[in-house]
Amino acid sequence: MLIALPDGSRREIAGDIARIEDILKQLCINPEEVIVAKNGRIVSEEETAGGSDELKIVRFVHGG
Amino acid sequence: MLSDAEKKRYSRQIRLFGEDGQERLLRTSVFIAGAGGLGSVISLYMAAAGFGKIRIVDCDTVELSNLNRQILHGNADVGRAKAKSAYESLTGINPEIEVEALVETISEENIDQLLQGCDIIMDAMDNFPVRYLLNRAALQRKIPLFHGAISGYQGQATTIIPGKTACLACIFPRAPPASVFPALGSTCGVIGSIQVTEAVKYVTGAGKLLENRLLFWDGLNGCLDEMACERNSACRECSDGEY
Ligand SMILES: [Zn+2]
Repeated sequence: MLIALPDGSRREIAGDIARIEDILKQLCINPEEVIVAKNGRIVSEEETAGGSDELKIVRFVHGG
Repeated sequence: MLSDAEKKRYSRQIRLFGEDGQERLLRTSVFIAGAGGLGSVISLYMAAAGFGKIRIVDCDTVELSNLNRQILHGNADVGRAKAKSAYESLTGINPEIEVEALVETISEENIDQLLQGCDIIMDAMDNFPVRYLLNRAALQRKIPLFHGAISGYQGQATTIIPGKTACLACIFPRAPPASVFPALGSTCGVIGSIQVTEAVKYVTGAGKLLENRLLFWDGLNGCLDEMACERNSACRECSDGEY
């Protein structure tokens, strides 16, 4: 599974299908600060990802 | 019918969407939540474009540290209510539209009254709790909400059409932790301009809106990106079948 991280770097992670919540935990990313797209589509952290999925993790902002 | 002065004032954009499009803008009543960084850009461009009625709301006074980005306000406005200087800037740019600038804190109690008569909502807030109020009000009234937010070099925008697209709570089910955010005027310029462009397209019926698409601007790397989103069937705000 290919993961694009909020800092712009990319990381390849091998392993079984996991909940996105757990993947974020493993990457030490606070789920409250990011949204995650699986194969280009925003998904909730309850969803799972793995195999050939591509995850993109983006830090969203709240200022105005 | 447009007056001769209006035909002249708006001539360059009438080339884009015709006198009919301009008349639509002039008939549109806009609610702008906030007169800060995003609210400055949004309200100035909307006033200049001839959105006929603008109601802008902010509870703060102008501080020196606002002036790097909040171009509605000038040096002489420090210490004055933002709504006051907003009124002067907007009517100064376009005295032919109706501007209402209110010193109010948007809350659950007053949002219904504040939105009375408004056709569209522009999100220029600096926090998610109030954004969720705007989102709920947009759903209840079935009027669009043009979302934007910034921090530093980064920003995001999307267009929420009740009954058609994901709502704000579908996309962002949880508010991010509150924090003091760095702010650059030109980032407000990028995101606020995108929001106004969306509103112009919505009103004139042109182009393809940012519906179910969350647009990201990364100014530091000069990148625009987007993610697809969809209505969440378990969304706390829009999934009860009412919308
Ligand atoms: Zn929703």
